[in-house]
Amino acid sequence: MAAPSAEQSIIDVEMKNVDSPAEEVTDSEQKGSDASIILDIRENIRQIERGVATKESRFITRILRTILAIRKDLNSNILTSVVNGFYTHSASEKEFMLSFFDDQMEVESALVPVAGANAQRMRTAKNSSCPLLPEVDAYIHLLLILYLIDQSKYVAAQKCSDALMDKLSAHSRRTLDLIQARSFFYHMRAYELNDQLDACRPLFHAKLRTATLRNDFEGQAVLINCLLRSYLHYSLYDQADKLVSKSVFPETASNNEWARFLYYVGRIKAIRLEYTEAHTNLVQALRKAPQTTAVGFRQAVQKLVVTVELLLGDIPDRLIFREAAMRTALQPYFELTQAVRLGNLHTFSDVLNKFSAQFRLDKTFLMIIRLRHNVIKTGIRAIAASYSRITPENIARTLGLDSAQDAECIIAKAIRDGVLEAIIDPVNGYMQTKELVDIYCTAEPQIAFHERTAFCLELHNQSVKAMRYPPKSYGKDLESAEERREREQQDLELAKEMAEDEDDGFP
Amino acid sequence: MESEESKRNNLKAAKAAFQKLKTEWAKHPPNLDVCGQLLAELKVLLTELQFLHTKIDASEEELILARSCLEIGAQWSIAKKDTASFERYMKQLKCYYLDYKNKLPESAHMYPLLGLNLLFLLSQNRVAEFHIELELLPIDKILNNVYIQHPVSLEQYIMEGSYNKVHTAAHIVPDPTYAIFMESLIETLRNELARCLEKAYPKISVKGAMSILNLPNEKVLAQYSKTRNWVYSDGYYSFSGDVDEMSVDEEMPYVNVAKKMLQYAREMEMII
Repeated sequence: MAAPSAEQSIIDVEMKNVDSPAEEVTDSEQKGSDASIILDIRENIRQIERGVATKESRFITRILRTILAIRKDLNSNILTSVVNGFYTHSASEKEFMLSFFDDQMEVESALVPVAGANAQRMRTAKNSSCPLLPEVDAYIHLLLILYLIDQSKYVAAQKCSDALMDKLSAHSRRTLDLIQARSFFYHMRAYELNDQLDACRPLFHAKLRTATLRNDFEGQAVLINCLLRSYLHYSLYDQADKLVSKSVFPETASNNEWARFLYYVGRIKAIRLEYTEAHTNLVQALRKAPQTTAVGFRQAVQKLVVTVELLLGDIPDRLIFREAAMRTALQPYFELTQAVRLGNLHTFSDVLNKFSAQFRLDKTFLMIIRLRHNVIKTGIRAIAASYSRITPENIARTLGLDSAQDAECIIAKAIRDGVLEAIIDPVNGYMQTKELVDIYCTAEPQIAFHERTAFCLELHNQSVKAMRYPPKSYGKDLESAEERREREQQDLELAKEMAEDEDDGFP
Repeated sequence: MESEESKRNNLKAAKAAFQKLKTEWAKHPPNLDVCGQLLAELKVLLTELQFLHTKIDASEEELILARSCLEIGAQWSIAKKDTASFERYMKQLKCYYLDYKNKLPESAHMYPLLGLNLLFLLSQNRVAEFHIELELLPIDKILNNVYIQHPVSLEQYIMEGSYNKVHTAAHIVPDPTYAIFMESLIETLRNELARCLEKAYPKISVKGAMSILNLPNEKVLAQYSKTRNWVYSDGYYSFSGDVDEMSVDEEMPYVNVAKKMLQYAREMEMII
């Protein structure tokens, strides 16, 4: 291991020497910023090489985190010079990479000599003929795919991604796992933008099998999420549910992947009418999601949370509709909540008609149709609270139901479901509410208290799990113990010396 | 070349068998046993073709042949009142309806059969699967297609409790084949309603019970009331089930409380 790292450091030194003249060549401002980004990319690639040499995934994680910052500034100029600089070993691969820029070649022709001049210096003469590390190769590919996606050249992005997938399948290196996981995501994205999300499913299933066998946790997490996304896009809830139940989502996956996964699971559970589970999953997803960015994701989750809460018979907190990032997106759901709270069927169907296009877009429309009976239940409960005796005819009129007989059946069902405490008097034909028992005599407060305690404990446990500890921090303790021993030794010696001094003091 | 040749022969044989089945099925009334036999033979022939979707490049002709065969199979199982076999046929048909959506022309039987499948799930009280199936269909079809709308509105009536609307809907089925599942659905509903009655009414008149449970005459009602242990006295039925439940509720839930306390203790221990 020592030899390559030594070589690495030599390259580092060499590269730094070369960088300064390259900067001088670019005089205009645009070129200057381009050059600094090229520099960044080169620095990143060096980091990757170091990561591979030391087998430390930490470096690669850091590089992948900077990818979004670089993405904003990418342009064809930067990428051509990076490709020209690094693909010195194989002309065919270079040509393939450059083929994505064909249409812009004429504009860039003035810059090509500059890029060409850089080309020799990106890699040392000694290295330029040997193939690139697969990690570096994948990284440059990834940058290119991102650029093509941002330029809306989706077909080209797909082609490039396909090539990357081919290359990746040829290798089996643990250091590749993290970059590979990221590549899967953008592979899926490229296909999604081409509206062929179902086409990459077989590949992902195969990759998931391999990732599971190799304990590649990040890859597993990304792949499961990609597959779920693809299934849910086509409303294949049955398949998605089976995938969730048959695979294990890795504990150690990153928070973002967890948030996605929990959202998908929440969605599936909501469709399957398991509202309580759906709610817990969605709330967790909201908590794991980044709190300042990812507004779109949080909006989508929040919409679903509101719908599920309504289906559970709860009224969501008014506060969530007030949040600045959420306000406009949640407006339809706010009006929906109000309709349900009032228990008026007419307002409910008004809201449903008014926002039906929006609800369809959010894929919540069918769930919201299910809300109809919740509206009725709330209405009945309100009536039962205000009247002690009322005829079914009157109930039908107040709630906007079709007939008194309907009302009678609905009340009967509500009573059986435990929505209200009442009896129907068959002789005189009215509903009589039972006297309310003192709720503090029942187990009700205890149950409510238990629910809250359980929630707090769960929250505590989750946050303990979510805390991150620096790797190998136990090493520090050991060192300090060693140090202490050393210090104690020194203290002892000092004491001895002092004692000797003292001895000397007394002749 | 040889495999190409044998494939063509297989297709020809399957086609001939399908024609036979079709003519038999078109008879009024069809001979169900003969149809069943023909179906079994045809399925064997189809496995030689692209029936099991191992490859993508199946010709349109083959796919349509397989689909029509399965459609007749599904209808045949309804006629035989064999629900298990109906479910199997529907599972196989779904591939043709959904995965080959863009390749094949839409079948005339598609929505009636899908609606039938929904009703089947509903009558078995498999509501979760019902909703999963529903999500697969486009929303416009759910709201406007007669065949789909029927089970969808039924589900809504059941959820909110307007049972008598279900009874009226039972008489206006969009397709005669729907009747078989409606019967079992109404049977499930009657039990559901009876349970509601026990909870909601202290007692009920014979006439009231008859209209709510949708039973034709007093004799049937009397028979039904026996199965649920209702007590009859001068014109009214009264229910006795409630009393026992109350006494159970009154008891202190010692075990539960102890369990919760132990759980708290453990969690606290972990935190400290």
